Amino acid sequence: MSNFPVFEPASPQAEAIRDLFVQVLWISGGIFAIVAGLICVALWKFRAAGDLPEQDFGSHRKEIAWIVAPVIVVLWIAAISAKLVLTFNAVPQAHPPGEQVADLIVTGHQWWWEVEYAGTGIVSANEIHIPVGKRLRVQLSSADVIHSFWVARLARKMDAIPGRENFIWLQADAAGVYQGRCAEFCGTQHAWMNFLVHAHEPEDYEKWLAREKIVPPAPTDSKAIAGRRTFLSLTCSQCHAIAGTGADRSIAPDLTHIASRSELAAGVLVNSPQNLRRWLKDPAAFKPGCKMPDFKLTDQQLDDLVAYLETLK
Amino acid sequence: MSESDLPSSAESAPGKAALGNLLDWISTVDHKKIGILYICTAVFFLGLGGLEALLIRVQLLFPNNDFLSADLFNQMFTMHGTTMVFLVGMPVLVGFQNYFVPLMIGARDVAFPRLNAMSYWLLPFGGILLYFSFMTGQAPDAGWFSYAPLSTKPYNLMPGQDYWIIGLICLGIGSVAASINIFVTVLQCRAPGMSLQRVPLFVWMSLMTAILTILALPALNSALAMLLIDRLLGAAFFEPARGGSAVLWQHYFWVFGHPEVYILILPAFGMISEVIPVFSRKPIYGYAFVAGSSAVIVLLSYGVWAHHMFAVGLGMGADMFFAVGTLLIALPTGLKIFNWTATMWGGAIRLTTAMMFAVAFLLEFVIGGLTGVMFAAVPIDWQLTDTYFVVGHFHYVLIGGTVFGLFSATYYWFPKMTGRMLSERLGKWQLWLWVFGLNATFLSQHVLGVMGMPRRVYTYADNPGWMALNAFAGAGAVAMAGGTLVMLLNIWVSVRKGEEAGDNPWEGFTLEWATSSPPPAENFAVIPEVASRRPVWDLDHPEVADAEREPTPADTGWRPDKLVTSAWAFVASEAVFFLLLLVAYVVFNTDVAGEIVSAAMLDVPRTAFFSVALLGSSFTLWRAERLLNSGHHAKFRLWLGLTIVLGGFFICGQAVEYYGLISSDVTIDDNLFTATFFTVTGFHGLHVIIGLLALAIVLVLALRNDRNVLGGTTLKAIGLYWHFVDVVWVAVFCIIYLGFLQ
Amino acid sequence: MIELLSDKELWNWWSPAWLVVVCVVMLYSRCIGWVTVQKTAWLIAGLSIFVFAFVSPLGVLADGFLFSAHMIQHLLLLLVVPLCLVLSLPRNPAWQSGNTFTFKTGILGVLRKTVGFLVSSPKLGWLLGLGTMWFWHVPSLCSAATESQLLGFARTASFLVAGILFWWPIYAPSKAARMPASNAVVYLFSACLGCTLLGIYITFTAITVCPAFASPEERLAIMTALHDAGMTAPVDQQLGGLLMWVPPCSLYVAAIMSVFCRWYSVEDRGAVDLSVSGATEAGR
Repeated sequence: MSNFPVFEPASPQAEAIRDLFVQVLWISGGIFAIVAGLICVALWKFRAAGDLPEQDFGSHRKEIAWIVAPVIVVLWIAAISAKLVLTFNAVPQAHPPGEQVADLIVTGHQWWWEVEYAGTGIVSANEIHIPVGKRLRVQLSSADVIHSFWVARLARKMDAIPGRENFIWLQADAAGVYQGRCAEFCGTQHAWMNFLVHAHEPEDYEKWLAREKIVPPAPTDSKAIAGRRTFLSLTCSQCHAIAGTGADRSIAPDLTHIASRSELAAGVLVNSPQNLRRWLKDPAAFKPGCKMPDFKLTDQQLDDLVAYLETLK
Repeated sequence: MSESDLPSSAESAPGKAALGNLLDWISTVDHKKIGILYICTAVFFLGLGGLEALLIRVQLLFPNNDFLSADLFNQMFTMHGTTMVFLVGMPVLVGFQNYFVPLMIGARDVAFPRLNAMSYWLLPFGGILLYFSFMTGQAPDAGWFSYAPLSTKPYNLMPGQDYWIIGLICLGIGSVAASINIFVTVLQCRAPGMSLQRVPLFVWMSLMTAILTILALPALNSALAMLLIDRLLGAAFFEPARGGSAVLWQHYFWVFGHPEVYILILPAFGMISEVIPVFSRKPIYGYAFVAGSSAVIVLLSYGVWAHHMFAVGLGMGADMFFAVGTLLIALPTGLKIFNWTATMWGGAIRLTTAMMFAVAFLLEFVIGGLTGVMFAAVPIDWQLTDTYFVVGHFHYVLIGGTVFGLFSATYYWFPKMTGRMLSERLGKWQLWLWVFGLNATFLSQHVLGVMGMPRRVYTYADNPGWMALNAFAGAGAVAMAGGTLVMLLNIWVSVRKGEEAGDNPWEGFTLEWATSSPPPAENFAVIPEVASRRPVWDLDHPEVADAEREPTPADTGWRPDKLVTSAWAFVASEAVFFLLLLVAYVVFNTDVAGEIVSAAMLDVPRTAFFSVALLGSSFTLWRAERLLNSGHHAKFRLWLGLTIVLGGFFICGQAVEYYGLISSDVTIDDNLFTATFFTVTGFHGLHVIIGLLALAIVLVLALRNDRNVLGGTTLKAIGLYWHFVDVVWVAVFCIIYLGFLQ
Repeated sequence: MIELLSDKELWNWWSPAWLVVVCVVMLYSRCIGWVTVQKTAWLIAGLSIFVFAFVSPLGVLADGFLFSAHMIQHLLLLLVVPLCLVLSLPRNPAWQSGNTFTFKTGILGVLRKTVGFLVSSPKLGWLLGLGTMWFWHVPSLCSAATESQLLGFARTASFLVAGILFWWPIYAPSKAARMPASNAVVYLFSACLGCTLLGIYITFTAITVCPAFASPEERLAIMTALHDAGMTAPVDQQLGGLLMWVPPCSLYVAAIMSVFCRWYSVEDRGAVDLSVSGATEAGR
């Protein structure tokens, strides 16, 4: 992670933005220094003395001369940003409806992110795994209200809007974990709608992909078997999906490989068996207003469920 | 509370019964009193909005803080934004305009004093509606921008949102009425000799602001009307799940919202354009450029709204277009900074509190302006929008700009309003507290933005540095609150024991300094004659009078008719309203396949028949006007009556159509066609009915031989409105019934 | 772009535009006369742009290939060329000094009065200026005018006439024919709104505004290159819409600024040659 993500880009696009930003910062700093300098000099030089100052009404010529510099600055900023803007266009060429055009399909939900890896059948939540050095087209949409997809070190910000498809490029130059957040106010728990982008070296990515494609085997441990039964008998499966169990709803995060993720509930908790148990016991204690109800699970049920979910690696 | 103290000591004669005094204030139509009422109400709401800001800062002091719940936090920032924009910023500026525009143009009052009172009373009414939402269990919590679909029923069940909408419509109507009033006042009530090229810059900026308000607020009103119809009547304009558009709301909101920024800043530009010359003892440098560039800002401000929407993904072309517009609008603003600096240059600067606030304005506003330019560079916006960087940016503009301008104006004009000086010593305390507070809070927020902190989050994880910066921001907020208290204390003390001001303590240039402090009820004993931009300067310094040294275009004596001008302004405002409703119709009913839904449902020939009646009524009204002008009063009444009959006939036709549709189960919540159809025709019908009422009143007055009707321009003004309603119908008929533009 | 310019196919040297230029120059020298260098410069500028709009690749591409090129041509013909022509008219043309022609009586006199009346009517100027803009973008008309040469001529002529009528109330050589400043600002701003609306419509609509451009009957080599560079028909139309929007509005805003400057200056001082000071503003 990084303290100043905007200044520590890890992709060509983020770097281009950083360079533009730094340049405009310098230009702005220069302008401010000039204006502030002039004002200070005026204040210092022209403190009231007894005499009436010369009554100067202004001159058209000086106004026009003064405006030349800002015009040049403005045109320059327009030109360099226009040049950059064009390289960001990720909208695919016209394609027949239904055809897959994006590598990743990310859907914002109140208050978590659904991630679909096109063509692989893999669906996950709040975590995006990408191979280093590859430029991926991400399709953004929303299942409810407007969200905004923002991984400061890797890509531009783009809104995820219901009824619309937006596209951006996502790329990482180095392996690592990158913080992502929802940037558009989307209701009660907007603050906890974070996600992580894990960039892997290509071979690691292939390994991850292979692992993720495996449908988790049915549990063998008796506790976990009980947990699986609990999961399917309670209303969990009305919202969550787990591959191989028949639970296939996408109202809430897909749990197929939940045990391999590093965070719970879009960044509220670190993923550990203890935290998972605490979360299941009372979700609203950690994320008030979240859509996951408190099922008033017994300790037994909690233990079973955690045991089962922890098998889903 | 300052609300009752300030006025009573400022204006009333001692010994008058408190109740009588109160009634006097409630029933006043005097522009100065209404101005003070506006300012005091705004100060009251400033307290509330400031309190909300402090609660927000407290909640964000620590990571994972639970001082406020998530929901309460969201309500707080929603109410903070809404309050500061609609209940503090606009009213306090309108208050100053109300007080000083008539004084500065040498008028006895505004053009329509009673309309002025109504505009004011809509303010507390709207404010109470908005704050009443707390009583319903939850204040609105979708942000001051209320982006759909978060603000629609499926995601926001509480009535707080409805109160927000209704409160804002109320405030919007009040603002438009106040602006029409100021618009007409500036055009019509100027002292003899004061050509429009000679008005003080504050007056010119007020005129520009009025134009902006008149044309921008209807955009908000139309969006609010549609959202309310969504929420209460079950339409789906803004519900994507049912075919509506989430982005349309944003367009409409920012078509209003960006001009709104200039509504808040232009009067402040005007204020410091008065203060800086007076305390530099020089005329404003390049009057024509300061004034002209504001006009250009007004025009351009309508073409930049989508720079709030760069992250929406409108497409690269649209993004660049709005970016260029935004960069262009920086030019006239930059020009003004030059003019203000050049005004100080070579002057004899007196660093009073008013002047120091003006200088602080220049410096801080430049920072806000420059970060604004950064956001106009689209890729930077993609990175930093919706972070604390943008929060820092617009607070520099609104505090460094608007608030500092207002403080400057307060110290400059307080002597005129009360006859007493404010304490300079306390003033400097206030200045430095605010300068520290502003920079501490919002510089920290700029840094937080690049550190990746999104705005509108109720809490955050313990990321390195975030807590320290938020704590610093909190300290700044406390300093600003302290500065405000110092100001209130200063006012409290000065109103009682302040030094006597005299008529012109600052050696001011403009007409408000030509009357006593505070000014008498009718402002001027004799309406002064004006020959230059600085009439009072010319009196004080006949040897270097502007009238000789800097000749300005003379007054042609042209003053437009009050009623007709206000009717035109109103019609312009309404035109924007209907334009946006029709745009919504076109957006939602453009079917690429070419199938026109309307044709299947509507009985076009029948409506065409009734439309002829409406158009005919325009003709009969025109006839009536002609007859009135030529003095045929009896025939005039007949034709006027005929107009009403024809208009009524049209309304009956509409009723028949509505009855037919509703009885065959076609209602507003069916689909987007019915929603847009009923909204557009419904609002049009409402306008026809209002027009009919107005015409009926005119007829009754005419039958009583009322002199205003028979001799004045009442009929012409109402006729303008009536013809406008007809023109709207022609557009509605072409677009909805005949399927143009689909 | 260099490639594009060097391609001979793209230059239409034998355009009838030259004929128009010759006529205009003859007419100008007979009726108006060469008064000042500045006026002459405006005339030359206007005519050069006119020729450029037809002879250069712009004219060729505008002829049924690229909607955006058509739009640039359209704007040059409707806004820029007429503006230059209006500004090239001196305050005291030859016909008024009485040496060459006098149209004060007879049929020509009546004609002149009628034309004078029409020309100096701001409402007509506004309606024609904007009307032409909207009218020729009704999809069927836009296609028809691109495909039929006769209609194309009619369109060009209507652009020039409407443009002159549009600018006349703002920059007419005689002060009496100009609108008061307040009206001029409203006039220009509403025109700006009008073309903004059309621009927005063309940019964002799903409809193909000018079908002739979306599926041209023949293709130029350059078209393929442009298409590969991303200039597809929808992009072309969007660009056209933006062109309809930004440059005219900038021009109108500059004109508004020039009107303001005129308005703020004292009448006598600025009366010498207002149109020029105004136009330098506009050109800035």
